[in-house]
Amino acid sequence: MKDVIGLVDCHTSPQLGELTAHRTLASTSFLGRYAFIDFALSNFCNSGIPVVGVLCRDHQRSLLKHMGNMLSWVNNTKTGRVHIFYNETGILNPAYNSDIANLRVNDWVLYDSEANYVVFCSPHILLNIDLQPVLEEHIARHEECTLVYKEIEDADKSFLDEDVLALDEEGYVESIHKNDGTKAKALVSLEIIVINRTTMAELTRRHQMVDASWGMREMLPYSLQNGLFRIHARRFDGYARCFDSLKHYVDYSFELLDRRLADTLFLPDRPIYTLTHDTPPALYGEDSVVRNSFISNGCLIQGEVQDSIICRNVRIGKKARVRRSIVLSNVAVGDRATLQDVVVDKYAVVTARHEVKGDSENLIYLQQGAIL
Amino acid sequence: MSTRLAAMILAGGKGTRLQALTRKVAKPAVSYGGKYRIIDFPLSNCANTGITSVGVLTQYESSELNTYVGNGEKWGLNGVRSLTSVLTPKQTEEGSAWYLGTADAIYQNIDWLDRVDPEYVLILSGDHIYSCSYEAMLRTHLQKKADCTISAYPVAIEEASRFGILVPDEEGNIVEFVEKPRHPNSNLASMGIYIFTYKVLRAELIQDAKDPESEHDFGKNIIPKMLREGRRMAVHRYSGYWRDVGTVASLHQANMDLLMSGGDSTNLYTVQGANRIYSEDPFSVPQYIGKKATVRDSLVNQGAIVEGMIDHCVVSGGAIIEEGAICRNCVIMNDAWIRKGSHVENCIVAPRSGTEEGENFNVGGEKIDLLSNSKGRKD
Repeated sequence: MKDVIGLVDCHTSPQLGELTAHRTLASTSFLGRYAFIDFALSNFCNSGIPVVGVLCRDHQRSLLKHMGNMLSWVNNTKTGRVHIFYNETGILNPAYNSDIANLRVNDWVLYDSEANYVVFCSPHILLNIDLQPVLEEHIARHEECTLVYKEIEDADKSFLDEDVLALDEEGYVESIHKNDGTKAKALVSLEIIVINRTTMAELTRRHQMVDASWGMREMLPYSLQNGLFRIHARRFDGYARCFDSLKHYVDYSFELLDRRLADTLFLPDRPIYTLTHDTPPALYGEDSVVRNSFISNGCLIQGEVQDSIICRNVRIGKKARVRRSIVLSNVAVGDRATLQDVVVDKYAVVTARHEVKGDSENLIYLQQGAIL
Repeated sequence: MSTRLAAMILAGGKGTRLQALTRKVAKPAVSYGGKYRIIDFPLSNCANTGITSVGVLTQYESSELNTYVGNGEKWGLNGVRSLTSVLTPKQTEEGSAWYLGTADAIYQNIDWLDRVDPEYVLILSGDHIYSCSYEAMLRTHLQKKADCTISAYPVAIEEASRFGILVPDEEGNIVEFVEKPRHPNSNLASMGIYIFTYKVLRAELIQDAKDPESEHDFGKNIIPKMLREGRRMAVHRYSGYWRDVGTVASLHQANMDLLMSGGDSTNLYTVQGANRIYSEDPFSVPQYIGKKATVRDSLVNQGAIVEGMIDHCVVSGGAIIEEGAICRNCVIMNDAWIRKGSHVENCIVAPRSGTEEGENFNVGGEKIDLLSNSKGRKD
């Protein structure tokens, strides 16, 4: 699929509460060993799309650290490439720091390549999708724009503020509006947009004249209303979740402890690639009690862990108890300490015998490097 | 260090006593410690020492090992000034031959060494488990102005007749070397790790190749001959954890040494600093420990699924231990599948092997056994 450029659009990422105060959602840790962007980049890689651009809005340090040499997600390290696109002027004008503005200052990638199609995706919408059939359909039907959607039954609780589609009889998008949470059943946009390069160029040109603060999410409804092009809708029925709050981050992490559900996201034919850290396997002590949890490599667990997700290099002391908690990398939990319904950010230290308890509705967040 | 010190890793051995574990792979490629292959240790040691030119000599069942070593990327040995070469026996103008012995393997690659042009050559075994930097050994070699320095490890005197035994004088110069002596005069065993001054080694190898009586082996021929010739031979004493795992039982024990109950005999967590071990990182999900699982005193790699009980076990990625299954004192290698209600004890479960539902294996068995079949995961 050399005819295609993939774009990971970090401009539309919502905040996950304090978790994203100092990092972008794309580089936020997920399920022990991943960052959200791994899923977007792996989808491109597994779909045979060699050239990818990451439209970075802010916190590029954290993103660059995770991206490393950028080659962990490409099939061929010569023909494949991941570029970081960053809009310097966006720092001074956050209101105008949209994905289209970013793409405009980095438009050389479009001129440089011979790609005829551009595929957008957003890291906060987590899914494992083969984009090849989507592209094949788009090309075979001579579409200008294709939008991937999913029919959900809980739109009153999830995908809030995301785009909801109304389709016409031919399967084209009739209208796009924001999900205000009033209806449970909805066709929600998964923010995977396939668009012809020429159509994209026209959209970018128009963008300056319409409203420079707008991004793709605003320009698509505008294009529909003004009859610029039709948007073909393509249905996706697999696992997809929209990460838009700390609560959803926690809920969606825990739901994957159900192996049957996890098996619908982690597919053997389409693995999720990530950065290697060369950490040894997890070591469990003689009195450890661990149940229903994801444990990452590099952990040293001597206490009790239940219904939790433990990231890399976490130490859990003797007789410590960790329940319904997400513990990010390099955290130390002292002997006999207790964590319940807590999200512990990286490098935090919970000293011996300390007790931190939230409840399932009121999670406690311990910030990066905190010492209790 | 540029090419001052080049490393040659001897990785062609079969390891017959590891039974089915080495039927299809060479011993250096055998799985160890849940995540690693044995050859990760010498290669990581080279990387951590700052050695940039590494030749890996393979022969027996070499395709998997050759693929694994590749360009050395897994150990960072693919930098701009690095060179990692897999050196297999080849056809030449003189004909074609297998590597006849350890010395012959190096001899057949003199061209490679000449191109690298090192001052010193480090000869390593691809199937030893230890974590160290070779810098101290090179220092010994330089201080002693030696032609050859041999790394040695104290063993129990009753076991000494299994090893090549060195007898040093007070200054650390080797005065005697006997391969597997009946009546050992010392307990210092050669670890099969040598540093040679390349010029000397080159001359010795060429001479040895012409000798029809020679077995072309470092321990049996080159070292004794150099001693007879009065070359300067130094001993470098090593005192850390070091294992040559030749048998199923010793491989099992070396795995168990990694557990918390193994004390500080070796601990992958203590070698995480400068002497960290690098390995392949398959793209597996984090390990999942199930709702009814029991995990005690074990080492578990990412990608493993544990729904049953593991007690005193080392579990590799891709392994599945189903609900109700019991594993005690086992090494469970990659993609093994221990099905519901089965019970395995005191054994190594080979890669892609497994048990049927309710099947028992070596329960109460006193000897460490090997479970090898095709009942594991297929992918």
